[in-house]
Amino acid sequence: MLQKKICLLGAFGVGKTSLVRRFVDTIFSDAYLTTVGVKIDKKTLAIGSEQMALILWDIAGEDAVSAVRVSYLRGAAGYLLVIDGTRPETLDTAVSIQARVDAEVGSVPFVALLNKADLEEDWTLAPERIAALEAAGWNFRRTSAKTGVGVEETFQELAARLAP
Amino acid sequence: MLDLPTRISDSLLELIHAQRFLAHLVIDDSQQLTQAGGHLAHYGLDDLQAGCLASDQIPFLEGLLPLAETPFLIRSMEMPSGRVADIHFFADDGTVWVLLLDVTAEYEEARLVQQKAYDMTLLSQREARLIAQLESANQELTRAHGELAASREALLRTHDRLQQELRDAERYVRAVLPAPLAEPMAVDWRFVPSTELGGDSFGYHWIDAEHFALYLIDVCGHGVGAALLSVAVGNTLRSEALPRTDFLNPGEVLTALNQAYQMERHGELFSTVWYGVYHRASGRLRYASAGHPPALLVSGSGEAQPLPSSGPCIGISPAARYQEQQCSLPSPARLFVFSDGAYEIHRPDGSLLDYSDFSEILALPGRDGQSELDRLLEWARETHGDSVLEDDFTIVRMTV
Repeated sequence: MLQKKICLLGAFGVGKTSLVRRFVDTIFSDAYLTTVGVKIDKKTLAIGSEQMALILWDIAGEDAVSAVRVSYLRGAAGYLLVIDGTRPETLDTAVSIQARVDAEVGSVPFVALLNKADLEEDWTLAPERIAALEAAGWNFRRTSAKTGVGVEETFQELAARLAP
Repeated sequence: MLDLPTRISDSLLELIHAQRFLAHLVIDDSQQLTQAGGHLAHYGLDDLQAGCLASDQIPFLEGLLPLAETPFLIRSMEMPSGRVADIHFFADDGTVWVLLLDVTAEYEEARLVQQKAYDMTLLSQREARLIAQLESANQELTRAHGELAASREALLRTHDRLQQELRDAERYVRAVLPAPLAEPMAVDWRFVPSTELGGDSFGYHWIDAEHFALYLIDVCGHGVGAALLSVAVGNTLRSEALPRTDFLNPGEVLTALNQAYQMERHGELFSTVWYGVYHRASGRLRYASAGHPPALLVSGSGEAQPLPSSGPCIGISPAARYQEQQCSLPSPARLFVFSDGAYEIHRPDGSLLDYSDFSEILALPGRDGQSELDRLLEWARETHGDSVLEDDFTIVRMTV
């Protein structure tokens, strides 16, 4: 079966683990449990008549003192760059990570997820900033691990892009 | 590298093997698993089969082989058994060695510290956002407060200007009222609008050498609209500006006035009007009323006689006709013409004075040293319990 490695990257607390739990186990918990190191999950999708196994790397989030090890992306077919819509500083982190991935690993397909869409009335992201990144080629999706909005569709879309 | 004797380095390896649950995988250059050993079951990797593709059996190897760098380390990876391992990769002569060392204890410790640190950071970030929101709201409120203050200033200026205009209008309304007369008949009046501008007006004048006209108008409501109409009606009567109308004939005057001031062409306002003509030589009074309270005649002996009258208000029906009444004014006598606001006065307990209460007061003989009309106004205010009356207080007295 075709296997593809997909990494989830972003600042701490943006909801990477919750997105994986929603996608793989269709569950969500409001309790915040930090991720240390890496956790691997696997989910098989049907892409047309073919089966594709996504190997999901849920990588500990970046904070002020520890940067994401982009070398973990080696061999990844794509990655999801997760942003917390209620914390504008997490967009800065995403921009920084993406630049480092480009520089150290090379061009890897990615989708930027504006997560916590269930709290959209509390979002503080500047629309012009999003528009500028879209103009630069970023592909944004709105997701909520809590409600499931956009989660399955995003993984399906990424998998479809990676299919041979 | 440490140059340790073989006996010591072997002991060290045994120690790591035992304490760190060392497990190893060996993968050849075709990415087939060729060897696997050590504490594989500790990590949930006990079903591995040599000779098969390594990444099919061990998902985390997907995409990592061949190695881009060696040695290569993945820290703290959660394994299928729930244990946490550091994964060390070494390239060695066409094969890749993968060593797993248990770091679950360190992982748990790091996770607790990190959890607290992140919880604190998220809280402080949230606090900073809330403070920023509060500051923004405060700025917005300050701006809104400034705008409100400016609006209030503008409103006050407008209010002051309107007040000034109302005072000017009130001065005009008062200016067109006739001065009291001393002879040949004494005519006096009191006019106290309930607001700056009322709906009451009155007038009197000689139609000819023998006939004296006296009239009082009470337009419904108060304010600018009522005052404008009241002054207009008063001017019409004063200037005798009704075509083909005999101003000696009160019924004819009110009929023509009603046709001239229909409410649909006068701001939906209607009015009550009393109009009388006194013939000095005969002492006869001809009068008519359009919905107005009856005038009161008080003889010299103090007998009060309401002068009956009927007729609809001015402005309601163009077909209305008004009949005149006549009576004789025996000298000495006092004729009072007034608006309903002069007697429909609420007492502090909520009860309302009526016409008979008022006529009793009017029938009282005047006291020395005090004007009868001033006494009447004072009585009205005392009865109401407040110096500001609810309605226009207008009364005209003719003494013969």
